[in-house]
Amino acid sequence: MVEPLLRAENLTKRFGGLVAVKDVSFTIAEGDLFAVVGPNGAGKTTLFNLINGVLLPDEGRIFFNGKDITRLPVYRRAPLGIGRTFQIPRPFGVASVRENVAIGALFGRAAEKVSVVEALAIADEYIDRVGLQAHGDKPSIALTPVERKLMEIARALAMKPRLLLLDEAMAGMNPKDIDELVNFLKRIKDEGVAIIALVEHIMRAVAGLAERVMVMHQGSVLTDTTTEAALTHPKVVEVYLGKAPG
Amino acid sequence: MSPSRTRLVRYYALLPVLGAYLVLFLIGNGQPDMWQLVAMLAFYCALGQAFNLFLGMTGYVDFGYVAFAGVGTYGMAISISHLSAVEGIGGWAIVIGLLLGTTMATLLSLAVGAVALRLRGAYFAIATIGVNEGLRYFVEGARIWNGSDGIIFSRDLRLIFGREAATALSTFWADVLVLLIAALAGVVTLLFMRSKIGYALTALRADEDAAKVMGVNVTKYKIMAFITSAVFAGLLGATAWALKLTYVYPPDVFEIHYTVEAIVIVMLGGVGTLLGPLVGGLVYGLSKYWLAVTLPGFQLLIFAPLLLVIVVLFPEGLVGVLKKKIGNRPLGKFIV
Repeated sequence: MVEPLLRAENLTKRFGGLVAVKDVSFTIAEGDLFAVVGPNGAGKTTLFNLINGVLLPDEGRIFFNGKDITRLPVYRRAPLGIGRTFQIPRPFGVASVRENVAIGALFGRAAEKVSVVEALAIADEYIDRVGLQAHGDKPSIALTPVERKLMEIARALAMKPRLLLLDEAMAGMNPKDIDELVNFLKRIKDEGVAIIALVEHIMRAVAGLAERVMVMHQGSVLTDTTTEAALTHPKVVEVYLGKAPG
Repeated sequence: MSPSRTRLVRYYALLPVLGAYLVLFLIGNGQPDMWQLVAMLAFYCALGQAFNLFLGMTGYVDFGYVAFAGVGTYGMAISISHLSAVEGIGGWAIVIGLLLGTTMATLLSLAVGAVALRLRGAYFAIATIGVNEGLRYFVEGARIWNGSDGIIFSRDLRLIFGREAATALSTFWADVLVLLIAALAGVVTLLFMRSKIGYALTALRADEDAAKVMGVNVTKYKIMAFITSAVFAGLLGATAWALKLTYVYPPDVFEIHYTVEAIVIVMLGGVGTLLGPLVGGLVYGLSKYWLAVTLPGFQLLIFAPLLLVIVVLFPEGLVGVLKKKIGNRPLGKFIV
């Protein structure tokens, strides 16, 4: 059997009495496009924080490329090839967009081999690809919220990740922007990058983007199946819309 | 594409800094009665330039910073007072003193950093406040390094160099060394900015948790900046205090007042900029000198509200404001 890129086994995370993530298991293969869907408070972001080490799980284990990374420090996961964006973008303040993206290249998977000059060139490449070429010299805090999201995607891609974690990347975007981003992410996937996208309620994005969807509710996995099957799953409909009367 | 601000900082950005120190030297050298003023300005610029490597680059405020200069001073004092009678060492006692001073500053910064750099923001600042005072009372109470009697080594200096050379050393060469230290700290600042270290520090200064997620080993880079900054403080103590004054007393060198001055200089000039400590050091030094003449005793009363105004109105400091104003013009590429 080929070892999957990411394997989560029985992950559980508690905050006091609250179980934010309850016994969650799943696997991701190289080049997968995987959406994690669920209403606010379902435990999606906590799950991301477990995968990239911002939080440590109380139970369960995480394997990346066959290696146990359950307790690996956060900063050592980026060089393995785990890139991430944040739900509320976290640009590096007064540094320009170009410098922000270059930081991704400098400390990501190719960190050892990339010089500062090369990192700035890589930054230009990805700034171009996400369509921010007009803003490269702006301080990152001068960007609009949507531009910040795109900058974070460029920064994460400059890390040359094997797995890209996108936290609500499409929130706040208009349908046209969403379609553009979906197409862009599909191209990224074709280049061999596995993507996990957290989505609260933009079904347009989920339906267009992911082949596989995992629906979470109150910390647990409701279903992990194909996108089509997930969106018509009676329990999923119930979580989002409530029980049908009668 | 628009201007150079996001390009890699060029080496020529050092020209204004090194040029300013050269001009300072030439003014003092040409006008002997100006030398004391030049020496004071050099000290403040060097202090700012050294502290900026940590405070400016990481955004962490180390209230115990002067302790590194304090142990640097002791390093030089111990070297000279112990080696003056040893045959054949001669002037090497100063080189050994510089090495000992920087080694002691490095060791102290490792010890402090290993504990305090695990804390963030205000907690770090509070933890470091005690280092300076603690060290002073430790030296006095445990009577190490001669306790509160201090070390007086002017006689040892005369023994090594003879009367005239010893005087020249403490009234001229010590200050020249301080200017060189300021210039060297400026060069190191630029090297940081041009390297991975600078980018790591930029990231962690803005958002430490996000920096970790991007793969930045924040502890490693914070400690690198901390040690580098401490080494320069050690050098500064060994020259501006030890060699210049030829004695050392614990309350003189472990004096928090200098840390506060360093903070004012860095904030006034512009946190994390190359030119900031130079501009801040000159402005602070000159106004302190001028106030001491015109309104003796009122300096602090004026500087305290001034610092408040800077922090509230120009958090990016004089150089930061200048950068915004003319950063896009041809001259802007020198404003770094």
